[in-house]
Amino acid sequence: MSEATPVDLALGILDHQLVDADGENCGKVDELELRGIDGEPEVVEIVVGGNAWRTRGWSGRLASRLGGNAVHVPWSEVESVSAVVRLKRTAAELGLGRGDERWARLIAKLPGTR
Amino acid sequence: MSLKNILAVALGILSAIGGFVDIGDLVFNMQAGATFGFQLLWAVVVGVVGIVVYSEMCGRVAAISKRAVFDLVRERTGFGAGLATLVASEIVNLMTCAAEVGGVAICLKLLSGLPYRLLIVVAVAALIVCAWRLPFEWIERVFGYMGLCLLVFAVAAIKLHPDWGEVAHGFVPGSHSGGSTLVYLYFVVGLLGAAMTPYEVYFYSSGVVEDQWGSDELGLNKVTAMIGYGLGGFLSFALMITAAVLFLPRGIDPEFIGTPALAAGDMLGQFGLLLAIVGILFAVGGAAIETCFSGAYNVSQFFGWRWGKFEPPARASRFTLAWLVIFALAMLVVMTGYDPVKLTEYAVIFSVVALPLTYLPILLVANDRTYMGSHANGKLANIVGVAYFFVILAIAVAAIPLMIVTNGGQG
Repeated sequence: MSEATPVDLALGILDHQLVDADGENCGKVDELELRGIDGEPEVVEIVVGGNAWRTRGWSGRLASRLGGNAVHVPWSEVESVSAVVRLKRTAAELGLGRGDERWARLIAKLPGTR
Repeated sequence: MSLKNILAVALGILSAIGGFVDIGDLVFNMQAGATFGFQLLWAVVVGVVGIVVYSEMCGRVAAISKRAVFDLVRERTGFGAGLATLVASEIVNLMTCAAEVGGVAICLKLLSGLPYRLLIVVAVAALIVCAWRLPFEWIERVFGYMGLCLLVFAVAAIKLHPDWGEVAHGFVPGSHSGGSTLVYLYFVVGLLGAAMTPYEVYFYSSGVVEDQWGSDELGLNKVTAMIGYGLGGFLSFALMITAAVLFLPRGIDPEFIGTPALAAGDMLGQFGLLLAIVGILFAVGGAAIETCFSGAYNVSQFFGWRWGKFEPPARASRFTLAWLVIFALAMLVVMTGYDPVKLTEYAVIFSVVALPLTYLPILLVANDRTYMGSHANGKLANIVGVAYFFVILAIAVAAIPLMIVTNGGQG
């Protein structure tokens, strides 16, 4: 992505939609991992789902207990940031959107699904 | 604009009118009319203008930014407050859906005479089949057009020959008679809440994103909001006027969903009665589908899942599962035999509490030029939007205390 446009991490990236290379929704930016806070801060990873919510207040701590393990996506996988955060590869390759795949097997058994 | 486009717009408006009234409007307009006569008509106007303003705004935001309401709630309020809003809205959605399902079952009972609980199961099964098999457009059209049968109440209201001078007085807020001030205020909150139910904007904005509306559809968005909801408000007037003329002098409390239908039947005979029941059936049936889809949209948008009625059900699997679960839970709630009218009152009053956190993110993003570019809110939209936000805040604070002290409007 271009380095020229400044983005507000809290307002412009955190809690925004993740979209994979195929244009599919694959979770939210639930948490950001930063490095070098005192020097030159840099975003290292996007943390998605499950215990990524741990740091998001008391309701986040509660939700993270039910949520399982988070998926860590390196910042280098980010293609672009607009209203959504677009990724360079597919959700499956990055280990995202697994919940949808898991439930798909059940839903596909119902009558009337193509 | 070609003739075909005009026809499409007109049909869309018709289904918006037919889809405006749901069980909340039925219950609160009838009860307000039966308790205070015409004196609360002004509150309907305030509520209808509110839903016009906010649905236009959230349709515009959805068309330009491609973000539906719960994406914005999450982005603007963060995880904690967003989750609280989600939980509140899901509880309200479920209660509303259950009340609408109860309404469908009661209408079916009036038409067939079969046992209520059996008809609850029939109602839910039929609604699930419609939601599963019918394309989006057809759901809107079928339920919207059939809901137009409610126009029978407009005919009834006119044939009842109300004192039109007094009706006109009802459009001016002021002193009131016939009940305590607290009960009066309770009905103001209820009427505003019933007109501005949050699920309408959840559903509408998600539909705009699904339909892939863009800047070309902004005109259509404006027209649908203003004319569709605006004219829908006339049905609310008709309900209140009918109740005011027929029930208030006789001291009848319309505590049964079928009571409004009897009002139409009283004026227009058996055919009027039939039209009223069919109108209510489809109005609340369509709203049941909308509420359960709204619930699925909200949770999917909050967690960033794949969502959409246009997606094959197994691809957006958690979205599909969510609306099926909401229908199942709604069925269980009504099966307990809890009165759908009471359920409606609670659902509307609680929905008022969830309103500010629903509308604030819409208002903020509608002003954010990084999202909206040249389509950001103009002066008028902002003045009215902010004014309404304060109205919403006030009624959100007052809603539950008023419900408790008035014992749900019983005085």
